[in-house]
Amino acid sequence: MQNNDVVLKIENLRKYFPAERKIFGKVKLFVHAVDDVSFEIRRKESLALVGESGCGKTTTGRVLVGLEEPTSGRIVVEQEDVTPLLYDDESAAKRYVHETYVKKFAAMSDEQLKSVTGIDALYAQRFLDLGRNEAKFVDELLQNRRERVWQMRRRIQMIFQDPYESLNPRMTIFDIVAEPLNIHGVGNLKEREEMVAKMLADVGLTPPETFMFRFPHELSGGQRQRVAIARALILNPSFVVADEPTSMLDVSIRTGVMKLMMRLAEEHDMSYLYITHDLAVARYMSNDIAVMYLGKIVERGPTEEVLKNPLHPYTQALLAAVPIPDPEMKRGEPNIKGSVPRPINPPPRCRFFDRCPYAVKFCEDNDHPPLREVAPKHFVACYVVSGEAS
Amino acid sequence: MLLSVRDLRMYYKTKMGYVKAVDGISFDLDQGESLGIVGESGCGKTSISMTILRLLPDNAEFKGGSVLFDMGNGPVDLVNLPESEMRKYRWRGISMIFQAAMNSLNPVYKVGDQIIEAIQNHFPDMPLDKARQKVAELFTLVGLDPSRMDQYPHQYSGGMKQRAVIAMALACDPKIIIADEPTTALDVIVQDRILKEIRKIQRKLNMAMIYISHDIAVIAEVSDKIAVMYAGKFVELADAVTIFKQPMHPYTYGLMHAFPSTVGEKTELVTIPGEPPNLLNPPKGCRFAPRCPKADSVCSEVEPEYRELEKNHFVACHHPVQPKEVVRFYAE
Repeated sequence: MQNNDVVLKIENLRKYFPAERKIFGKVKLFVHAVDDVSFEIRRKESLALVGESGCGKTTTGRVLVGLEEPTSGRIVVEQEDVTPLLYDDESAAKRYVHETYVKKFAAMSDEQLKSVTGIDALYAQRFLDLGRNEAKFVDELLQNRRERVWQMRRRIQMIFQDPYESLNPRMTIFDIVAEPLNIHGVGNLKEREEMVAKMLADVGLTPPETFMFRFPHELSGGQRQRVAIARALILNPSFVVADEPTSMLDVSIRTGVMKLMMRLAEEHDMSYLYITHDLAVARYMSNDIAVMYLGKIVERGPTEEVLKNPLHPYTQALLAAVPIPDPEMKRGEPNIKGSVPRPINPPPRCRFFDRCPYAVKFCEDNDHPPLREVAPKHFVACYVVSGEAS
Repeated sequence: MLLSVRDLRMYYKTKMGYVKAVDGISFDLDQGESLGIVGESGCGKTSISMTILRLLPDNAEFKGGSVLFDMGNGPVDLVNLPESEMRKYRWRGISMIFQAAMNSLNPVYKVGDQIIEAIQNHFPDMPLDKARQKVAELFTLVGLDPSRMDQYPHQYSGGMKQRAVIAMALACDPKIIIADEPTTALDVIVQDRILKEIRKIQRKLNMAMIYISHDIAVIAEVSDKIAVMYAGKFVELADAVTIFKQPMHPYTYGLMHAFPSTVGEKTELVTIPGEPPNLLNPPKGCRFAPRCPKADSVCSEVEPEYRELEKNHFVACHHPVQPKEVVRFYAE
């Protein structure tokens, strides 16, 4: 099962943004952009994160690549807890290690520590090996932090939405694609040239010599997005966050870029998180799909299964609202009320409560429902669907 | 015929030469009919509406053709009208819902007042209270609470602004409404509501509509007939079902098979190789020929005529796709 292992695991990720500015006193209002999100992606597999604008899908991606610090939660890449590396501030990283491991382990007996399972097991063992020395344990987790941040960035890359803004207009295509190599000190100039040429050919910009010394403005949207993909893949990352990479492209060019991404993922043993608002595109780009609403994943499962048999009332409404490219097909009426509220300190109940056509008293009185497996590998966060509320 | 466009040509003059944005467009539009124009960015679909309404920038040059518009007292060629006459037809005859409607409202005026201004511009004799009443009716028609008339645009959500802009387009009871990508910036659930609203109003008022979009799924929902545009020209025009079920132009065929859907079998998506041409220097002969798998030496030399191959089915192609034919595009 070597090639089926988990590349990325996210546990209870939260990202809150302050929604007010205060000079004195504590900020009390927060936008809950990402609120307790968990998922995992296996090697060579892909997860599509779908939802409307403002649901937190892009923020999730930005936290993964280190562009935003998480408020809380744990991110594990290839069995290594990389969360301490996501904090700019060393003391925040220290606090995280203390909260996540030290506090818990210190309260356990040696026997209990040995029976710890999952990702914790590795760290529990290390804790024991160090003779339960808390300071040493924290130091070890944080040692070489800067260097490890660099390594992590090599492993996780991002492709942005807008190829007109994500490429520096003053750099040549060669400089853009070679920049990750420069930063990470890979190869000498000649080797870099070879790598860039190979990468450009790989993304369909052939012959590479004709593209290398041109500037972004000389390329079309589709070609620019191919350059962005080349830049993201040149360091051979194990994981790529693709944030709506095809939404700016025209239909006739879009499928080419979609197929290119799938082919390269296959060839480079790469997994990816595909962030999109377009369910039809998600269908083609992912094995699994997670539907987000107001910072929460409300439904998750194999893509075809979720699209054929959507269970959460929000997913059902979203799917019913997607226009069908067939004038003879009539689609259903999206059963949903009102519009998306802003997630500022949302009340502790189902985030979808106000818009849900099936909501009952139970939904109002209880916290946001947890994801429950209602069919094989098909998870839904809804009390009504899981039968807890009637 | 309500609107009859013949061989319309409009080029933009640039330092490098003419950009042939609208290059010989012809179509008819009847009362109550809805025409969808689908094409990729830069193919000239917005320029068509700007040419019809004569809302062109300074560097645009009208190069010929006619736009016959009949408001009930005989056809008038809008192309030759003096500007003062043209103003009578704009908004009252043909009105427009602009792209990025969110930005087409003035932020410092109340939304209701902006619509009243449009009404009073065209009906100077209408008293204010009657105009207000009219706006209240329009608000109800597009699904906005009339009490919102006295609010400013920033107090509206994106979908509400879009509805307000639709209300504004309907303000002078136009015969034709041109909708240019009115839902592109909206989320699907809001888009769904707006699309249904537009279609409902169009049918209720028996208006004619030209709906412009890059999204064939949206076009499929709102159009009776569909024109497919490529590089400044219509390559195919037919009723909506025919365009989807029996496309005859290879480009239309490619588009239909390149578009992913959430329903039905998950079919292999087609990639059309290459990129749309630069309209500064469009290829000789058929403009799609460099990307077309069916193209031969004739295609790259002789421009195909836009003709009616079957009843009400116009195609500009030397080698139209036959029923049941499978066209293979090679890319990558």
